[in-house]
Amino acid sequence: MDENDLNSDHVNSDTTVDDDDADCYYDFFIKGDDPMDPEDAKSHQGSGQKYTILNQADMRKRQEDVIAEVSTVLSVSGATATILLRHFNWSVGNVHEAWFADEDDVRKRVGLLDYDKQLSDVNAGDRASCGICFDVYPRDRIFSVGCGHPFCRECWGGYIRSAINNGPGCLTLRCPDPSCSAAADRDVIDMLALSDDDKKKYSQYLLRSYVEENKKIKWCPGPDCEYAVEFDGGGGGEDSWDVSCLCYYSFCWNCLEDSHRPVDCQTVSSWLSKNTDESETKIWILARTKPCPRCQKSIEKNGGCMHMTCNPPCRYEFCWICLGDWYNHGTCNRYNEAADVEADKNREDAEKYVTKYTHYYDRWAANHSSRQKAIADMQRVQSMQIRRLIETQGKAGYELLFITDAWEQIIGCRQVLKWTYAYGYYLPENEHTKRRLFEFLQGEAEKGLERLHECAELELNQFLVDYGRPSEGFREFEVKLKGLTMVTRKYFEKLVRALENGLSEVQVSGSEEIGQNIPMTSAEG
Amino acid sequence: MQASRARLFKEYKEVQREKIADPDIQLVCDDSNIFKWTALIKGPSETPYEGGIFQLAFAVPEQYPLQPPQVRFLTKIFHPNVHFKTGEICLDILKNAWSPAWTLQSVCRAIIALMAHPEPDSPLNCDSGNLLRSGDIRGYQSMARMYTRLAAMPKKG
Repeated sequence: MDENDLNSDHVNSDTTVDDDDADCYYDFFIKGDDPMDPEDAKSHQGSGQKYTILNQADMRKRQEDVIAEVSTVLSVSGATATILLRHFNWSVGNVHEAWFADEDDVRKRVGLLDYDKQLSDVNAGDRASCGICFDVYPRDRIFSVGCGHPFCRECWGGYIRSAINNGPGCLTLRCPDPSCSAAADRDVIDMLALSDDDKKKYSQYLLRSYVEENKKIKWCPGPDCEYAVEFDGGGGGEDSWDVSCLCYYSFCWNCLEDSHRPVDCQTVSSWLSKNTDESETKIWILARTKPCPRCQKSIEKNGGCMHMTCNPPCRYEFCWICLGDWYNHGTCNRYNEAADVEADKNREDAEKYVTKYTHYYDRWAANHSSRQKAIADMQRVQSMQIRRLIETQGKAGYELLFITDAWEQIIGCRQVLKWTYAYGYYLPENEHTKRRLFEFLQGEAEKGLERLHECAELELNQFLVDYGRPSEGFREFEVKLKGLTMVTRKYFEKLVRALENGLSEVQVSGSEEIGQNIPMTSAEG
Repeated sequence: MQASRARLFKEYKEVQREKIADPDIQLVCDDSNIFKWTALIKGPSETPYEGGIFQLAFAVPEQYPLQPPQVRFLTKIFHPNVHFKTGEICLDILKNAWSPAWTLQSVCRAIIALMAHPEPDSPLNCDSGNLLRSGDIRGYQSMARMYTRLAAMPKKG
């Protein structure tokens, strides 16, 4: 907070003097304060957005907390609480509700025995035969999960390893006896797993289950990112779903695509699926896989009958041909003419708009790659140019932050601009006034951003040469770049808001005054 | 590897002892390879398979018994859950419901049970499945009986 105030004072005193628009101010809406102090910046509640970035340790902590809570309230072991929570999608409320409504039923469903049958009850004598390798062992080498079915420790180890290697289904591991449903909990895994590696994998699956089955937490989809984001806001409606991870990836929490203001998730999804319609991967996936009707994971059928069962934890059973629920499934061989006619019409429409689509797609893609380039450029600026400027211009690092600001602005704006092309594509043809206003605003935005991008990219170069003393024009450059950054920021903020409102000015103020409400102020320079 | 050999060897000895105990199943291990087995099973009585002798081929993986053996019919059989050409069997315990506590012997028993209680809702042989699902029990039975007679019974004279 202090640092923010300091910064903005500093910036204000420098910029507003030469600027036409004396009311301009920085509100730091894009940059925020996270890159400076990651410890404090995890929670983003100030800007009206409620989300928290979680690292692995945070997730584990939260997971352990809910386990401890259930364990205390129900007076069961932590491992038992874990099984219950996993079964009820990590919702403490649901566990409590079900447990207190009918404890026996819950126990039966998850395989928790309310007794502990001693091996001696089943096998007389002090030796027992393992049900997997059939060798006879002394009692202390034999183990059972309370149901009395004896298996030796080595076979347990192999059984556990094979389950873990088969994927997250190991979280619902049962006694190896086919007729027994007694659960093998994580204490059993800890005691009998063959290696620390197995234990680690199991615990990783457990953590993933906590994140993936939890309604309020999602993984950051950024490449190689290990953070997850907990979203506390109501979301939807007025609220923005935009989330910015500590890995610098910003995305929409709702649909997990890139941040896509001003367009909504639905538009993004249709736009992106349109884009990939023709791609090789898409064709491959369409030809060989189908999405599970419940969890949407792509499934490749590699043999067997049409009765499909999705992988745990989903386990949905459906018909491969019609994707209908298996238990309400009669036959699906009848031809549906209506569906076919619909498909034909869609194909025709697609043909008709292909030229229009190419227009918008080219520009969408150009802004996308320009943004990727800008991200790379910014890294170069941060790692090399800033250091160089410190030498040639005799500045301190913090005095050059305005350059990074400018680049972050460029990256943010490219993102917005990119999505305005999807917006434009879906804007109805017959709303001429809206289209004109939109195209005007978009054009201005593009011009403004180009100016900023060019200034940051090209005009900076002259100051990298070392003349042995600070260059004269550097201060001028600083003022100009700051001004452009600010003006562009303000303009894009307004643009996003206007587009999100569906350009409602059009109805209110009529077509002649368009553009007046959203003035494009230009910085001199 | 060692574990699977040891276990198969134990099953082998058990089979020798049980031969008389279960007259419906005759499990034989390949002379030179303990991972290859064949079984002769009797078609269960009061089914269209009655009187037939069906041959099964087992390919046991090295991870056995942690992973299930691969089993298929060598004898042609008309059954909703058996592929008519390849003999592939659609049975949950041979796929995701496998447990290391099953043995080759108990797999054979499960297959005999499957012959007596077909699952027409998960058909590998659609013709057979459709007959049963449409309620044409007689049609299914006569087809199954015909193939039993053609493929699973000793040729007469």
